[in-house]
Amino acid sequence: MSEIHGAVGAYVVNALDPDELEEFEAHLAVCPTCSREVVEFGETAAELSLLTSASPPPAALRGSILSAISEVRPLPPEPPAEPADAEPTGNGAQTITADLRHAVDELALRRQQRRTRVLSVLVAAVVAAAVALGGVVYTLVQSRQAQVAQQAAETELLTAPDVQTYTATMKDGGQISFVVSKSLNRALFIGKDLPAVGSDRRYQLWTLEGERPIPDNLVAGGGDRKEFFRETLSGVTGLAVSIEAAGGAQQPTPSTIQTVTPLSS
Amino acid sequence: MNVSSLPPNSGGQPSGSGRQREASSGREAEAARLAELMTLCSRGHEDAFTELYDLTSQRIYGIILRVLRSPDHAAEVTQEVYVEVWRQSARYSPGKGSVIAWMTTMAHRRAVDRVRSVSSEMARDERYAFHSGDREIDEVWDGVEQRLDIERVRKGMASLTAIQREALTLAYFGGYTQSQVAQLLKLPLGTVKTRIRDGLIGLRDALGVEA
Repeated sequence: MSEIHGAVGAYVVNALDPDELEEFEAHLAVCPTCSREVVEFGETAAELSLLTSASPPPAALRGSILSAISEVRPLPPEPPAEPADAEPTGNGAQTITADLRHAVDELALRRQQRRTRVLSVLVAAVVAAAVALGGVVYTLVQSRQAQVAQQAAETELLTAPDVQTYTATMKDGGQISFVVSKSLNRALFIGKDLPAVGSDRRYQLWTLEGERPIPDNLVAGGGDRKEFFRETLSGVTGLAVSIEAAGGAQQPTPSTIQTVTPLSS
Repeated sequence: MNVSSLPPNSGGQPSGSGRQREASSGREAEAARLAELMTLCSRGHEDAFTELYDLTSQRIYGIILRVLRSPDHAAEVTQEVYVEVWRQSARYSPGKGSVIAWMTTMAHRRAVDRVRSVSSEMARDERYAFHSGDREIDEVWDGVEQRLDIERVRKGMASLTAIQREALTLAYFGGYTQSQVAQLLKLPLGTVKTRIRDGLIGLRDALGVEA
């Protein structure tokens, strides 16, 4: 067995050091044997978690999580893997490598999120920074009861050294801000007193790459709302909001575009 | 969950393969149910998510808390994980393993990420390992079936060599990188890497886990 195969155990228990992690993931994408072992060892490691289930989670967490997911739309299924990408081996191996590509994608995403994660100890700093940024953001900080997970990312964003806030009034009313950090590669939409759009319609966020709009997250109408952009800011030249059907659209409906905000480079 | 009806060490230790079989078929039934719930979640059924949470939260929170030690951090990461499970429910496929393994993997990764990003802030007790874990897990049991499951895993861990067990425990429950494990155990890195993999193989075989 080559040395890199031997890292599969440490990989499954997340014990690889960063440089070796990169190396192993590159290997994993092309090694059906390691892919299979990752799935098998994943089952084994999951059983280990039985040894820890001594105390139930706090009761308040259940309510907090259930209310958090009611504001999150499940992602659509992934498109099937391109046949051209498939390995010329059996069907099983194809499935595993296809799944694995997604697993690696998830890992990349997680790294991205890790960069934007911060500690609650920064909260004091945030409040100070938020006051400096103005009323809208201050309101955001006041309503801290919102999702704990999102909050950490917001905190990071608001305290980023290169944070920029763009404000705009939307066509049909409502004050919005985009809080943007190029270094964190993230943008946050904040809506203040958003007009209601009905239960079957949503505000849809868009990132613009030149002329090309890329559909992003959906936001319900009515009241104060905030939502991170799902897309990172690489290549993004502007941000926009439109009103679309509740399921979202692939292209913005021109008559419902509420604002188009160019980002300074 | 009815903990009070089953005090620890209340005689009547279940015995015999009949109970083991029941536990095993219970696991399969639960795995199948979790897969159904995941499908329902992907279509936006919040009640299915609630059931999924109730069936899994003790384990998911348990592993996160074990790695992080801080209930505040554990609650935050648990929320992150469940929101992500909901968001990604349509992206789960059986090719990625069982639902509980998929969720546990995500939970463990995020807990480890968090512990590494905040490790300088948190005074984690480096000596804390499987030994103290033994005492803790004796404290509360969540029913006979789970108790049998725990017994299985404990026996599996007991079947490993001491170094395999320690390396696996420090990495999985301690959230240490393999280099840190090597330092803690005063062993070469290559040895630690091999012991972790051998430990998982030994445990997999002992548990008869099929992917």
